[in-house]
Amino acid sequence: MENSTAGADSIMMKSSSIRSISSSRSRASGGGGGSVREVSLGDLGSKAVRYGSRGADSEGYGTSQKEISDEDSRIVYLSDPEKTNEKFEFSGNSIRTAKYSFVTFLPRNLFEQFHRVAYIYFLVIAILNQLPMLAVFGRGASILPLAFVLLVTAVKDAYEDYRRHRSDRIENNRLALVLLDGKFQEKKWKDIKVGEIIKISSSGTIPCDMVLLSTSDPTGVAYIQTINLDGESNLKTRYAKQETQMKIPERDSINGIIKCEKPNRNIYGFHANMEIDGKRVSLGPSNIILRGCELKNTNWAIGVAVYAGRETKAMLNNSGAPSKRSRLETRMNREIIILSIFLVTLCTLVSILAGFWLRDHKDELNTIPFYRKLDFSEGEVEDYNYYGWGLEIVFTFLMCVIVYQVMIPISLYISMELVRVGQAYFMIQDNRMYDENSKARFQCRALNINEDLGQIKYVFSDKTGTLTENKMEFQCASISGVDYGSGKSDSQEEIAGYSVQVERQVLRPKMKVKVDPVLLNISKKGKHSVEGKHVHDFFLALAACNTIVPLAVETSDPAVKLVEYQGESPDEQALVYAAAAYGFMLIERTSGHIVIDVQGERQRCNVLGLHEFDSDRKRMSVIIGCPDGTVKVFVKGADTSMFGVIDKSLNQNVVRATELHLHSYSSMGLRTLVMGMREMSASEFEEWQSSYEAANSAVIGRAALLRKVAGNVEKNLTILGASGIEDKLQEGVPEAIESLRVAGIKVWVLTGDKQETAISIGYSSKLLTNSMTQIVINNKSRESCKRSLEAALTRCKSLMPHNSEENIEAGASQIALIIDGTSLVYVLDGELEELLFQLASYCSVVLCCRVAPLQKAGIVALIKNRTDDMTLAIGDGANDVSMIQMADVGIGISGQEGRQAVMASDFAMGQFRFLVPLLLVHGHWNYQRIGYMILYNFYRNAILVFVLFWYALFTAFTLTTALTDWSSMLYSIIYTAVPTIVVGILDKDLSRVTLLKYPQLYGAGQRHESYNKKLFWVTMIDTLWQSIVAFFVPVLAYRESEVDISSIGDLWTLAVVILVNVHLAMDVIRWSWITHAAIWGSIVATFICVMVIDSLTFLPGYWAIFHAAGEAKFWLCLISITIAALAPRFIVKAFIHHVRPRDIQVAREGEKFRTLTDSQTAEIEMNPIVDHPQR
Amino acid sequence: MNPSSSSTVVVGSDETTSIRRNSNRPKYSRFTQQELPACKPILTPKWVISVFLIVGIVFIPIGVVSLLASRDVVEIIDRYDSVCVPKNISGVDYITGNLDKTCVRSLIVPKKMKQPIYVYYQLENYYQNHRRYVKSRSDQQLRSSSKRADVGSCEPEDRANGQPIVPCGLIAWSLFNDTYSFTSNRGGNANTSLVVNKKGIAWKSDRDHKFGKDVFPSNFQKGPLIGGGKLDENVSLDKQEDLIVWMRTAALPTFRKLYGKIEVDLIAGDVINVTLKNNYNTYSFDGKKKLVLSTTRWIGGKNDFLGIAYLTVGGLCFFLAMAFTVVYLVKPRQLGDPTYLSWNRNPGGN
Repeated sequence: MENSTAGADSIMMKSSSIRSISSSRSRASGGGGGSVREVSLGDLGSKAVRYGSRGADSEGYGTSQKEISDEDSRIVYLSDPEKTNEKFEFSGNSIRTAKYSFVTFLPRNLFEQFHRVAYIYFLVIAILNQLPMLAVFGRGASILPLAFVLLVTAVKDAYEDYRRHRSDRIENNRLALVLLDGKFQEKKWKDIKVGEIIKISSSGTIPCDMVLLSTSDPTGVAYIQTINLDGESNLKTRYAKQETQMKIPERDSINGIIKCEKPNRNIYGFHANMEIDGKRVSLGPSNIILRGCELKNTNWAIGVAVYAGRETKAMLNNSGAPSKRSRLETRMNREIIILSIFLVTLCTLVSILAGFWLRDHKDELNTIPFYRKLDFSEGEVEDYNYYGWGLEIVFTFLMCVIVYQVMIPISLYISMELVRVGQAYFMIQDNRMYDENSKARFQCRALNINEDLGQIKYVFSDKTGTLTENKMEFQCASISGVDYGSGKSDSQEEIAGYSVQVERQVLRPKMKVKVDPVLLNISKKGKHSVEGKHVHDFFLALAACNTIVPLAVETSDPAVKLVEYQGESPDEQALVYAAAAYGFMLIERTSGHIVIDVQGERQRCNVLGLHEFDSDRKRMSVIIGCPDGTVKVFVKGADTSMFGVIDKSLNQNVVRATELHLHSYSSMGLRTLVMGMREMSASEFEEWQSSYEAANSAVIGRAALLRKVAGNVEKNLTILGASGIEDKLQEGVPEAIESLRVAGIKVWVLTGDKQETAISIGYSSKLLTNSMTQIVINNKSRESCKRSLEAALTRCKSLMPHNSEENIEAGASQIALIIDGTSLVYVLDGELEELLFQLASYCSVVLCCRVAPLQKAGIVALIKNRTDDMTLAIGDGANDVSMIQMADVGIGISGQEGRQAVMASDFAMGQFRFLVPLLLVHGHWNYQRIGYMILYNFYRNAILVFVLFWYALFTAFTLTTALTDWSSMLYSIIYTAVPTIVVGILDKDLSRVTLLKYPQLYGAGQRHESYNKKLFWVTMIDTLWQSIVAFFVPVLAYRESEVDISSIGDLWTLAVVILVNVHLAMDVIRWSWITHAAIWGSIVATFICVMVIDSLTFLPGYWAIFHAAGEAKFWLCLISITIAALAPRFIVKAFIHHVRPRDIQVAREGEKFRTLTDSQTAEIEMNPIVDHPQR
Repeated sequence: MNPSSSSTVVVGSDETTSIRRNSNRPKYSRFTQQELPACKPILTPKWVISVFLIVGIVFIPIGVVSLLASRDVVEIIDRYDSVCVPKNISGVDYITGNLDKTCVRSLIVPKKMKQPIYVYYQLENYYQNHRRYVKSRSDQQLRSSSKRADVGSCEPEDRANGQPIVPCGLIAWSLFNDTYSFTSNRGGNANTSLVVNKKGIAWKSDRDHKFGKDVFPSNFQKGPLIGGGKLDENVSLDKQEDLIVWMRTAALPTFRKLYGKIEVDLIAGDVINVTLKNNYNTYSFDGKKKLVLSTTRWIGGKNDFLGIAYLTVGGLCFFLAMAFTVVYLVKPRQLGDPTYLSWNRNPGGN
């Protein structure tokens, strides 16, 4: 999400404040009140109203003036749906999120399923097998696995689709008030058509995208909550145009035409013209209300439907979760290629040998009893099923592929999917990743990268809202050079319960703020002393200079109402709450005036003008007409920008003292803002007013003009003071960061804060410790940046003489890199990237300050493109979206700043600290499980293929299968599939407590310990040995005997199944009853299946198992195969366990024998992270 | 929730109350929190050594017993395919020509053979498991007379002279047709004939369910190429035990088929004269034919492999048990000793 805050000072700004710009500007222009209104009314039509992410580019202002060309637009006739839909059939309002209907289900579902290469492979093999000369398996048996898989997936899809159908039905049948025959009548949502006029009552949900026509508010304001759309819970203001506001649809007929852009998915953009009563009015994003939002604090609103059903912005944005591919799976594909080389090799070998055999016997083929090429049955003598030895080789090859098809473990893909679903289920169900405050469960949005969580090497974290709560608290203020509140212990402060009485109603701010008693006293005494005057002005500035809307909320006590401050910047909210606590309570705000209760005395001030915050000025200002007739400018902004416009000559001491205080505030990790004001003379006011009006009505370059006007008025200010706002760290963040660091994960924090603030937060979150060497890169030019990077690099090398990696993990001396946004600009656009990367690889912690949103993605890309290491990005706001999408794993925090981050993420959770259990516990488990499962599945299928291959050498290379068709098909479905899935979901190598206690254990995943090339080859050698034992023991034991194919085939089937299951049993770590049931149950199920198959009289192998099992030899074979085949594995395992134990193993032993002492205390220590924090 | 269980200590009782307060919180259960009671076996030295010892202790006696049983089996093997062909004629010419196929062999009993003595014929280099061959049969046709014409899978031996062949297919067509009759000098009487019991040589299950009582051979071996034995058209298939035995296709290219049983004891030194009709053509593909007389034990026929395998595995396990004991004694490691954790070893790096 591109956001306009590029380069913005983040003290004021998170993504949301951008939106406040436009909404309040339009409020100033569209609403009534004062002289401003009259001016703006005149040229309403020519004004484009900015809203949201597009707003910043000033060129955008011109665009609304451009004609929307006819082919790019839709024309809506107000209150005339017939005419509107006459020419083009616009989409109705019924929605359909379901994919299939009864008729289309089968073809569409099949089509979608066959998008997978694996299924195509299945299908091709099945089709090959249907050719008469290649028919290896019976027709039914060969289709069974594919049919089974397709069926399971289809049932799953059908169930999901059924649920979607149900929710669609509920949604479509909701009722809305629609203007029909001059009356508002109820109509089902699905019947609403574009062009109809709809009335929404308070708290109603908006059924389709509508242009506001009028609202219950005389000025045409409507408040809406967009929580369903973007998750932001604060209220947003939307406006009806004055041209339509006055009309009453029941009485006046509204005849107008809206020409708007084609449906698109930009929820922050809208672009249209309305022709009404011969006037042309332009419409922007602040005039449209979108489907899914709720109307709040407005009795009713009337609008005309412009986009309906699937063309609404909400539905267009309703895209699924992003799809990423796990790193492990990519690695796995390499091994699958090796396996297919095996497959081709085996097939080539068999077919060439078959060719040789045919050539050697070519003279005898006609009569040899077990071949007999000649066919006499058709009268004339011809060759039966023989096409010359060239073709025979080809056919043998193809048959070989059919018989050995399981070498490519297709079932693995399905098992992996099931296992991932199971793992996701456990992650979602994890009690310890449930956030009590936001009632947010863990969300698994991407299903196929679970195991990547176990291999993360880099964590990129946003700060505000991710490490901190994004709940601002006013902490201290420096007023006129005097510091209040800072440096005092909490006990001295008290909670202010300030309240006012208005018309027998008590109004009380919703949030209570800690106040400084000294300051409270001064403010209570009024503005008679000099000190009091400063304090008065300071708090007046806080209460007035903002875009906060106060809302009165009913409480259980009818006499008491709570005032809730709704606004889009949490900083502003905190400041207004603070002002209220000190007796300056903002009670009412309309576009024309504000009402402030000052120490019990109501003051009504006119808002004459408002200059929005923007990222160039980094400040905002209001021009207030005070009750005493004076006009004052209040300015609020970031210190850097404010000190430029403050008249320092006035009182140097105050400025200097404030600067000192600001420095100490930011070292405490507080967010600072500076307030200034000045009075305006009448002439100056008039001058400003005319230029303000001119700028406001300008057609081109309005933003630049307004900025210029603001610049003229925001100067020569008297400093009022500065505020320090604390953004509290989330619970458990320091502990979490420490765990991550110990786990060998490099933590990068990307923040928009100032360097001092960032460093101090770094310390309080334990990101930085005193033992670390800090390297600060803070340059203003490319050359100096390069120099300091090189210097830093040599310093790092001297600090770490040998290779970096192990030293960092050993925790010797760690290096922290602090780099600021300006330097990053130089780094990211050129050859310095490589330098920074080298430097960063020495550092265990990197802190980037003053970073713009787009830079965040650049930083992630810098690491991602240069290493194979896994990256994870975590953030909560729209400005983190690019970073979240860039990283290998993206995590969204469902917090204060809306859901854009969550929507873009792969996983979403409520708190930063959940990252620790997610990575260290679930990630570790997922990785171990999937890694083992892949190797095991390779082994499981390869052993069967090898056994079949050995037999081919004893059948004149003709691929007779000793195993019955059904057994070889059921092998990967019933005989061996369940245990691997169960183990893949349930097995735990270590307990949660141990994993959290020793974060270093996470290194196993980073070092690819569970799945790598070496393990693959070792597994394959083991497979080869096991297949040799399983095949040749029966061959030797039954040599020169009367044993028949079916009996020995049954023996091989059982031997392989037992082997494969016992092999798994050897590696299972936790034996719960489910594991027992799955493993031993599979063996029993195999016996039962073999017996059932051998009870079918029409198969050649009838009764074979009962004959074979009646002999002692059969059982002796089974036992010796199991022992002899698994012995090498057991020996190697036992030997390595003893001689070179892995960390995981030692920890497991410690878990069992409790040798890892002080486990009790560790649990208590870890509690804040995993469980309820004590704070 | 059992606080004494190893991994659930973290979950305090306050957690349960909070679940009740909050419906959105995932419900607690041992399953969802992955805390099912489980046993976690670990490869301790004790375990490793005892596994090896137990395998050794179990395997060696089994090996000894199997080996003894196998050694107990008395087996007489006589290859006759080459010696029964006159010197001046090739095997193929001989077998396809019209010469007399009678051949006499005399065998000496090396050790006492207790009855029943099984008579097998052993064929070598004969791929009864060849794909073309194993497929060329119709199990439906064999089972019931109503499926007489069900010969689709029997090519190229499905029909002759336009009529379906019963039993069809290459397997039946190539029915082995050498015959043997035995006389011996038992009790001093020369030429006492030894009765060969050919009843019950096929599996009972095959006789009862697989080969129909109402299915009679017809049109069999009427084609231009005769593959092997002929069948009495008046005897139903379930009584044609030679055919039933033959149709249990062998797993390996060297195989034996039961010919009959001699139900008298033979003593060492007895001379058995075998009069055989050498009808079956193995000469065209270098096949070998052998006649085998053998007793059986619980282990089956004479085969030392399993006994030796068990002894080897058992012995190896004993050796490994000792080897591991030595390793554990020489280089002991305390289990779960935190100093073995990689980050506790050599803090300066690995």
